Amino acid sequence: MKQMLIKLVLSIGIACSFFNCEKDDICAEGTPVTPRIIIQFYNAAQPTVLKNVTQLGVIEPNNTSGISFTGISKIQVPLKSTTDVTTLQFIQNGSDTDTTNDNVDVLTFTYQRIDKYVSRACGFKTLFYLDETNPVVLSADGNNWIQNIQVIQPNIENENEVHVKIYF
Amino acid sequence: MLKFIFSLALLALSINGNAQEKDTTTVSYPERYGLRVGVDLHRLSKSFYEKDYKGLEIIGDYRLTQRFYLAGELGNEDKTVDDDRLNFTTKGTYFKAGFDFNSFENWLDMENMIYVGMRYGVSSFSQTLNSYKTYEPTNYYGENTVISGVKYNGLTASWVEIIGGVKAELFSNLYLGFSLRLNYLVSNKKPNNFDNLYIPGFNRTYDGKFGTGINYTLSYFIPIYKKKKSHSKSEKL
Repeated sequence: MKQMLIKLVLSIGIACSFFNCEKDDICAEGTPVTPRIIIQFYNAAQPTVLKNVTQLGVIEPNNTSGISFTGISKIQVPLKSTTDVTTLQFIQNGSDTDTTNDNVDVLTFTYQRIDKYVSRACGFKTLFYLDETNPVVLSADGNNWIQNIQVIQPNIENENEVHVKIYF
Repeated sequence: MLKFIFSLALLALSINGNAQEKDTTTVSYPERYGLRVGVDLHRLSKSFYEKDYKGLEIIGDYRLTQRFYLAGELGNEDKTVDDDRLNFTTKGTYFKAGFDFNSFENWLDMENMIYVGMRYGVSSFSQTLNSYKTYEPTNYYGENTVISGVKYNGLTASWVEIIGGVKAELFSNLYLGFSLRLNYLVSNKKPNNFDNLYIPGFNRTYDGKFGTGINYTLSYFIPIYKKKKSHSKSEKL
């Protein structure tokens, strides 16, 4: 009888200890969470041809650090989950050390937000829906390097497709 | 799942092992039948030392045959979970019904139990999402915590429990018990745009359908009638 008791307690104990091992409190990489806006750059002279950016710096004016992109035609930029407007400076040659060749263009993204539940570990994600009338506005400064902007997917729900095309 | 099957097999083995032992007792005492009611000390004490938890579970069993007991639990829980990315409050009531099978051969007139059992549990509850954080891997704008307060009412869940436990008589008619439970979700009505991360009675939910539980009970036995131990049954087991 004592043997039986020990066996029973042991087997239940083992069964329970397995469950304590399971950790689902780390948000796994690759989980679809808050998407960034996907921008693809095209040649303004030949609108069907992709054009790589060089030393492009993207920075939110109130932020101390920016994001730099070089040698690619497709970039991912995060939008603000706290407000319905994100203003970003797209600085041509902005991520190099030479500040004399910088050309700052200001883009304003206007959108609606929806928070969607993901999981215990990841929390929620924010989906963005670009405004129909003024989705992306380029502030004219007399010396814009960006020639044209085209929104092709206003619903920013994932990072699998291009949302905005920029011609320069 | 494999882990679960493995531990179930272990459980089965331990019961099997017992079946081979021969009982040689010839003297038999009349055994008492009746109703046992009690309370889960684990939930009761947690209500005092954990400020985010309030819960009470009433337990009961009724001895049907020499080894089988009709058993159940009735409880109410109010728990606030403060996770890394979510803070929510679950409130609700649950009821579990099933049986316990006493595999312990008592000496003389002892009335202890080493048992395995099964329950079917149902729970009706609400979830209140107090606050959450949105997840953006680059975290360029910093952490975004949203105070929500949305309450989801009318949620339900049901599950099956496999139980292993002991009950020992401390003083006359007063029993102290301990049980470990393996839960498997059968149905789960989730809120729209949130999840049942905690279910009263079932406890914390995981990615799959399994969960675990324990209780630590103090119960009182109310004798109703006495019956002689039947020999054929005791020799088999």
